[in-house]
Amino acid sequence: MNTDVAPAIQLRDLVKTFPGRGEAVVRAVDGINLTINPGEIVAFLGPNGAGKTTTLDVILGLTEPTSGTVRVLGQAPRQAILAGRVSAVLQTGGLLRDVTVRETLRMIASTYAAHTPLDEVIDRAGLGPIVDRRVSKCSGGEQQRLRFALALLPDPDLLILDEPTAGMDVTARHEFWETMRADANSGRTVLFATHYLEEADSFADRIVLVAGGHLVADGTTAQIRSRTTGGRQLTARIPDDRWDLVRARLLEAPGVIDVTQRGDRLVVAASDSDAIALLLLTELGGTDLEVSAASLDRAFMALTADDRGSELSGIPHLPERNHAARELVR
Amino acid sequence: MNATYTLIEMKRITRDYMGMFFTAVLPAFFYVIFGSTVDAKGTVIGNGNVAMYVMISMAAYGAVTATTSIGGQAATERLQGWGRQLGITPMKDSQYVAAKAAIAMVVAAIPILLIYVLGVWTGARGSMSAWLLSGLLCLGGSAVFALYGILVGTAFRSESATGVASGSVVIFAFLGNVFIPLSGTMLTIGKFTPLYGYVGLARYPLTEGHLADGTWEPLWMPLANVLGWTALFAMLATWFVKRGRDRQ
Repeated sequence: MNTDVAPAIQLRDLVKTFPGRGEAVVRAVDGINLTINPGEIVAFLGPNGAGKTTTLDVILGLTEPTSGTVRVLGQAPRQAILAGRVSAVLQTGGLLRDVTVRETLRMIASTYAAHTPLDEVIDRAGLGPIVDRRVSKCSGGEQQRLRFALALLPDPDLLILDEPTAGMDVTARHEFWETMRADANSGRTVLFATHYLEEADSFADRIVLVAGGHLVADGTTAQIRSRTTGGRQLTARIPDDRWDLVRARLLEAPGVIDVTQRGDRLVVAASDSDAIALLLLTELGGTDLEVSAASLDRAFMALTADDRGSELSGIPHLPERNHAARELVR
Repeated sequence: MNATYTLIEMKRITRDYMGMFFTAVLPAFFYVIFGSTVDAKGTVIGNGNVAMYVMISMAAYGAVTATTSIGGQAATERLQGWGRQLGITPMKDSQYVAAKAAIAMVVAAIPILLIYVLGVWTGARGSMSAWLLSGLLCLGGSAVFALYGILVGTAFRSESATGVASGSVVIFAFLGNVFIPLSGTMLTIGKFTPLYGYVGLARYPLTEGHLADGTWEPLWMPLANVLGWTALFAMLATWFVKRGRDRQ
């Protein structure tokens, strides 16, 4: 059996439900299909409660899917773990506070039949100066580097990081990704969950967006940015008494993707920005116009807002928005 | 059995001075106060004397404190994320349980050895078989309370579980005829509490069933108590562990 050519991760119609309050069932993961090839660095991006951690738990064999199939490097998740081919940096918490950094490494190393020499791992995760410190005395960033070191022990083909920088300050986050980057050229597949766009943008080749247990977009950073909001965002000041009229008029205009209000300014996402700018400044009486490239943030919000949320924020163009999202799901 | 893992866990326990104080030093102190310095310590009971009776009781109390806290600690550390960390390694649940069981037995042996050595030194006297069998029963029976620790640790899901577990062991010790000899209604009630059977069994090689209030009980009574509570603890612990897993 040649497992080298198998996808690093293959999810088919993955569903995971949890019992909710009373009779209710929470569908944490609701039909995700995803293939990640060896060597890819993929960001798993989504708001809290999108189903990221649950999906990763299934990939790691920590939980069984309700339905659907999971293959990790061509194997069942637990088999891949037993073979030391996959490891993970889990979310904060979960270390024994009263043992030292080195003891933690030795404990986890002892569970593997073979592992990378401890000194090498300590060096790569930058733990040298704190190796004899108790975990309880380590900062959040230091603890996360320790988790990273633990994940390096089996020298895995697939490395999974579940919001590795959650709760860290900016400096610690920066340091963590520097450490990761130094290790990135080893050719291993990396899948990391995050809700920080900048992390996804700067570290991943590919972004997979999830929301409400669904996969809502999959592509490169540039693709997601350009294809979801049509490239441009326009904002302008509108006289108070004309809001409803202006909104109705804009929604009829060709190429308008959504119209929202931010403070006293109108925000329009549109593919044909020149035409909309002209319309705003002449017929609609807008002033103080600004035109900018649609940010990844906007794409993110537009794609991950649940249906109720978008109604509240006044985005009536759900079909079109979902159409844009669907195009990206390949 | 993973030797490296178990040894580091061992080191971890011995570094916990407060824990060591409550499992080993405090019961030893109780023995010295209530066993070796009382006037009646030389009075003959069954195959030994009063000092030995108190010695076995306190050793049993220390051993149970040890296993309860190891069980509770195992439950809390797993719930607080170490279980997930181990879940992504090749370590099997059975290996983890084996490591913890070995530690629980070693830690339970500490108060037993300490108090028995003090006993030899301060006038506890008994037949050779009473010494040996009571010591082994103290050790073996204490394993049941590792289940109790797991149950409490899983039910309370926090650091406060340790306090609940060790506090309740003190109450069980009073109710279970461990610290002070009970009689009458209290003894009747006490016979149904978790520590009664265990300490009764541990003392059996010494007392052969004779109780401090002058009554006698057959071996099946403490034995039934131990088996009943073992079954209940095992059932509840399994249920709480399962509930904890479903929620994750």
